[in-house]
Amino acid sequence: MTFRAIFISVAVGTALIVVAFLFNAKRPAHDTEQPKAEFVRATGKCAACHRRETAAVVHQFERSRHAKKGVNCLDCHQALEGQEQQIHNGFTIAKGLTAKNCSQCHTTEYNQFVKSRHAAPAWAAVRGMQDFTAEQVQFAETYHEGAVNRPANQLAQKEGQSAIDVGCLGCHDIGKPNADGSIGTCTHCHARHTTSVALAREPETCGQCHMGPDHSQIEIFHESKHGVLYNAQKREMNLGADPKQLSTADMSVPTCSTCHLSGLEGLKVTHDTSERLSYWLFAPVSKKRPTYHQAQGAMKETCLKCHAKTHVEKIYQEAEGVVQATNAKIAEAKALMTQLRQEGLLTPDPFDEPIEFIYFDLWHYYGRTAKHGAFMGGADFVQWHGNYELLLKATEMNHIAAELRERHAKP
Amino acid sequence: MQNRRMLEKCPVLLQYFIIINLAFLAIDVFIAHSINAFSHSAEWIPFVVSIAASPLLLVTHFCGGLRANRLAGLGVGWVCVVVGVGGLLFHLDSQFFVDFTIRSLVYTAPFIAPLSFAGIGLLLIMRHTVDEESLEWGRWVLVIACAGFLGNFILSVCDHAQNGFFDWREWIPVCTSAMAVSFLMTAIARPTNASFLTLCVLILALNALTGVVGFYLHLSANLTAPAPSFKENFLYGAPILAPLLFPNLALLGIIGIMGVFRRI
Repeated sequence: MTFRAIFISVAVGTALIVVAFLFNAKRPAHDTEQPKAEFVRATGKCAACHRRETAAVVHQFERSRHAKKGVNCLDCHQALEGQEQQIHNGFTIAKGLTAKNCSQCHTTEYNQFVKSRHAAPAWAAVRGMQDFTAEQVQFAETYHEGAVNRPANQLAQKEGQSAIDVGCLGCHDIGKPNADGSIGTCTHCHARHTTSVALAREPETCGQCHMGPDHSQIEIFHESKHGVLYNAQKREMNLGADPKQLSTADMSVPTCSTCHLSGLEGLKVTHDTSERLSYWLFAPVSKKRPTYHQAQGAMKETCLKCHAKTHVEKIYQEAEGVVQATNAKIAEAKALMTQLRQEGLLTPDPFDEPIEFIYFDLWHYYGRTAKHGAFMGGADFVQWHGNYELLLKATEMNHIAAELRERHAKP
Repeated sequence: MQNRRMLEKCPVLLQYFIIINLAFLAIDVFIAHSINAFSHSAEWIPFVVSIAASPLLLVTHFCGGLRANRLAGLGVGWVCVVVGVGGLLFHLDSQFFVDFTIRSLVYTAPFIAPLSFAGIGLLLIMRHTVDEESLEWGRWVLVIACAGFLGNFILSVCDHAQNGFFDWREWIPVCTSAMAVSFLMTAIARPTNASFLTLCVLILALNALTGVVGFYLHLSANLTAPAPSFKENFLYGAPILAPLLFPNLALLGIIGIMGVFRRI
């Protein structure tokens, strides 16, 4: 045995080992510094298969802020307490993701969201309180009295289960009670693998649900000066700016999220969509919310980032005027319906007579549209899509009421 | 005298080694490509080749004449080389060659693995083209064993990097295979040094032991894996047959050393 042979062998072998060590050391820290080996594997193994199947989700994730921050698939997809587990090609994952998975890191955002009308009240508006625990009902009722402790929606019941599942809950499941005890999903606004702040700032994201005659916010926005300017200047804006750093330089024109949620120029960011709302505008007769002063103050603070105080006060004064006027019109129609019922001219069942639909359209479509239009700078929605229709429907109701009374009066 | 007779058996040992390896490759390929659910029809080719080749070689070895044995050996050998190189090209068609990152290299299809076919094929061709009485015969076996250990070294690094070398013991096969590569390289270059060849046997024995321990660790990891299905754990868990490559290649190295030893 020669020393040279052994020396060369040991030297070459050591060199190979050093190469292996260097190779491993060169890997990004967020790939290797994980709590379990399973999490390390998830940094690459998931994508290796999913590039062949559902490749789009890999590309969406790779472009996301999550990917840039080193979040890996298993961070979100791991099964948490109360979630049904699924064994998936060597990984134990949750069968379905909920807001609980997001709340692992985004606890503050979830805690804000769960107080909002997007949470339990959204689901209860269709399904009532039946799917919630007593604690969840109590919690939601603290912030939205009567919005969760309520029966299922009568109109939806009449339309049938398929309309509820595919129609109503398509939007209202944003507040679905999950088996893991959490409420709702964040992906309605932020999408799944894109997990985008920019997407949540797009008006069209809110417009997925906040559209149509019952809450035509997206249409009003596009009619408003805010919407026109946004569409003209969208390319110059930085919709992906850090929420805590968002400035008017990033978004010189507001979208829905800017006014309702964003921490513009150092303001407090919120995921409680109700936090800056001073009226129950969705209700037939809109009352001030218990947090009226605080909410209006917060919203005005946002307005003041772009507008003079006098202008903001004028907008609020005019909008509140529309609310009062609309309330009066709806209250009149409501009183008519009550009278007709008292006179025995209507059955006690909901939605079985034409005048009930007209009344429903009156407040649910046109009353809301007029009020939303007033707060959002949508003149046409205050007038033609709002007050004109209110007048028309009120007239139709009066005619039908007169006919009913006449028919009833005849022997 | 008895030792000398034992050393002369190494060409026959090599033939059994090849037949057994081809049979095991069928199982290994089946498990590996099942992870993909044989999504590409070409994934069946190595499985069919290995499952057909080993009985063919076995039959021609025991029942065929010298000519049939040689024809079958060379035929299967070349087919294995083509399958190995073709497999390498198929495996290369992966994400690593799109973005060239260490991550994609770690998680890409194991592009070294198909070369095990090429290795077996080269052994078969060598067996029928190189004089088995010559020193060269043993050196060629050592060359292929050394190449095998180099492949094992790369596989150990990449496979265990998928776990981020979470358990320090995952470095052991990396170190032992690196030493096997370097010692066999020296043995190929300086085949006449008997005491060094003995040291190489010890290094190979250490690798064989590493493989057996690795097999136990992979097996126990899979037995305690969370999937309710045994099959799921073995398909997607630690690759159960991979550590056995170490004793397998150690055996090949020892056959090569025997081939060299009998001529010095």
